[in-house]
Amino acid sequence: MDLDFSRAEQDFRAEVRDWLAAHVPAPLPSLDTPEGFAAHRAWEAELAAARLSVVSWPAAYGGRDASLIDWLIFEEEYWAAGAPARVGQNGIFLLAPTLMAFGTEEQRRTWLPRMARADDVWAQAWSEPEAGSDLAALTSRAVRADGGWRLYGHKTWSSRASYASHGFGLFRTSGARHRGLTYLMFPMDEVTVRPIAQLDGLPGFAELFFDGVLVPDSMVIGEVGDGWRIAMAATSSERGLTLRSPGRFLATADRLVALARDADPVLADRAVRCWTDAEAYRLHTFGTARRLMAGEEAGPATSMGKVFWSELDLRMHTLAVELLGDRAGETPWLDGFLFSLAGPIYAGTNEIQRTIIAERVLGLPR
Amino acid sequence: MNFAFTPDQLALAQTVRDVLAAHCPPRALRTGRLPAWDRLAEVGFFGLLVPPEADGLGLGLTDALPALEETGRACLPGPVVETAVAAPYLLPGLPKLASGEIRVAVLPPGAAFAPDADLADLVVVARPGGARLVSRDSVRLTPRPGADPCRPLFDVAYTGSTPLERPLEPALLRATVATAAQLIGVARRLLELSVEYARTRRQFGAPIGSFQAVKHLLADVAIAVSFAAPLVHRAAVSADAQERDAPEPGGGDTAWRDARTAKAAAGEAAVLAARSALQTHGAIGYTEELDLRFWLARAWSLSAAYGGAAEHRAAVRAPVLAGDTRRYP
Ligand SMILES: Cc1cc2nc3c(=O)[nH]c(=O)nc-3n(C[C@H](O)[C@H](O)[C@H](O)COP(=O)(O)OP(=O)(O)OC[C@H]3O[C@@H](n4cnc5c(N)ncnc54)[C@H](O)[C@@H]3O)c2cc1C
Repeated sequence: MDLDFSRAEQDFRAEVRDWLAAHVPAPLPSLDTPEGFAAHRAWEAELAAARLSVVSWPAAYGGRDASLIDWLIFEEEYWAAGAPARVGQNGIFLLAPTLMAFGTEEQRRTWLPRMARADDVWAQAWSEPEAGSDLAALTSRAVRADGGWRLYGHKTWSSRASYASHGFGLFRTSGARHRGLTYLMFPMDEVTVRPIAQLDGLPGFAELFFDGVLVPDSMVIGEVGDGWRIAMAATSSERGLTLRSPGRFLATADRLVALARDADPVLADRAVRCWTDAEAYRLHTFGTARRLMAGEEAGPATSMGKVFWSELDLRMHTLAVELLGDRAGETPWLDGFLFSLAGPIYAGTNEIQRTIIAERVLGLPR
Repeated sequence: MNFAFTPDQLALAQTVRDVLAAHCPPRALRTGRLPAWDRLAEVGFFGLLVPPEADGLGLGLTDALPALEETGRACLPGPVVETAVAAPYLLPGLPKLASGEIRVAVLPPGAAFAPDADLADLVVVARPGGARLVSRDSVRLTPRPGADPCRPLFDVAYTGSTPLERPLEPALLRATVATAAQLIGVARRLLELSVEYARTRRQFGAPIGSFQAVKHLLADVAIAVSFAAPLVHRAAVSADAQERDAPEPGGGDTAWRDARTAKAAAGEAAVLAARSALQTHGAIGYTEELDLRFWLARAWSLSAAYGGAAEHRAAVRAPVLAGDTRRYP
């Protein structure tokens, strides 16, 4: 049990820190606007050119074969430097781990290097109007056709789909609730996309309408009918580690403490508690990373992390907005606050996570 | 960087766990004041932190932490933290400490009473002018009421005392962290007891653990314990690092920040676990007869020992706001 970073880990941190200090741009326009989306893609390309966009991936796909600990170090530095949001995050943190675990080598070689440079930006297309928490109730279909599969149906709440080039999601290939689902990728070209404005007024989501789009077999991930298992494997990494690493919350906590420096002790106490909770998430994650590096599965315990980080993020932004009062809108805190409100909803609501913890971690009856 | 306990550290905890399972079962809490102490002494538990010159193993706090958590899980009575953790720093050369033949109680600064002082050969009493060492024959103890039946409190008066040569601070720091580790053990046991009960108790034709309100209550306990524990582990690493790297004055600030953070989080997690355990059990939990009461009481007594959560959080506030946001242990 120690917290001593090796020489190599320290050198890596220094390299990342120096590079970011020299390259992080002034705040970009929101990635939910056309100009902002383009600017964020350009930033991803710049990161990729320094081989910093996906450090934990194999070098063959644009990464550095970095360990999970290195990746956590990268994330700490990235968010501390105030670097831009990651426009490709749903591809990088959800689709890529799925392709690494269940895809073919051809799929990995085709899609991962392009994803690493944000040549393609991927949207997640899981949810449907009648299938939210009850994801397996989804009804969008993939029908066997000459040369592949034809997609039909209606997906919604797909983040960044307003501008994304590709999507990935679950489609029904037979009636069986779980065994009838297949994981597919598709280009957005022939999908009808209807942007949906979020609380901030920008089209951060979109609805997707499929009317017989044809995708070749090479766009199927894993076996036909194995989509549920593949998707669930991806969610444990989404909830636990990769989607929201500690670095983001540590940076927010540091800024919150600076904001609360001269605040009334009651408010300052809330800020410091958030800071120590962000530390708890960091340390907890170091423990999880070690277990993963030793070959263990993340498993349902990652649901605890999802509840913890989302509720911490909400507390931090709520306090910041309270401290700033009318001036909140002149700072990035207001947008951050609006986004933090979504944390307990996306990636599986916190109610669903608590049920998972109770049943699969604690062993309470269904 | 390897933020996980080593096989040796875990094996030590397993040994202690086995000893306590055999010799400190819940029924022993009703009959004896010192169940399993002789057996723990046999496996060397009381010498873990004692320097080798005094027949101890000279281990660090981190090494002993999982074993200390086990003493909380078993609700082991007696001045465990004081004898096994504080005393090796206060009285490092004391003969018979490592062998478990001598027991030590502590009246910490700011506390009104000394827990388990009836079992102590020596009582360390914090006093504004410097801590005093009081031996069994010169102490006069008056029992005081308290919440924990297995951790009785005593008012301490004495006729004679000697000054304590060593500073109290390093021992208090380690006792605070060790108590936090015990609280994690208490909380984990409370959660296990709640889950066991929720699986078997039936109402409305179903186990109460199948109701979502009960599930979510216990899920929140699991989350609180899971995120408090790493803070306690880090506090031990910081305490050991302070001893190794920066024994000079001021070097202990980060160690104290981490110890206080850990104690606050562990105390809050244990109190939440106690509150939720009682709610899960309903009326049977509100009885003297059910063993649950021992763990409830231990959560309350230890969460207050060596400073409560609010006190520690208040003390951490100023340095963090002033910029002590250093992240290495
Ligand atoms: C900002 C944001 C981004 C998103 N991005 C994407 C994306 O990129 N791709 C995508 O596919 N989806 C995305 N989603 C959708 C998200 O996955 C769903 O919102 C989520 O799964 C919940 O589904 P729902 O909104 O239909 O709510 P519902 O399932 O209708 O739930 C409504 C409420 O009921 C509760 N509830 C439902 N069932 C239960 C139960 N069994 N027990 C207890 N409580 C229950 C829920 O916890 C919630 O509080 C995003 C959502 C948000 C807010």
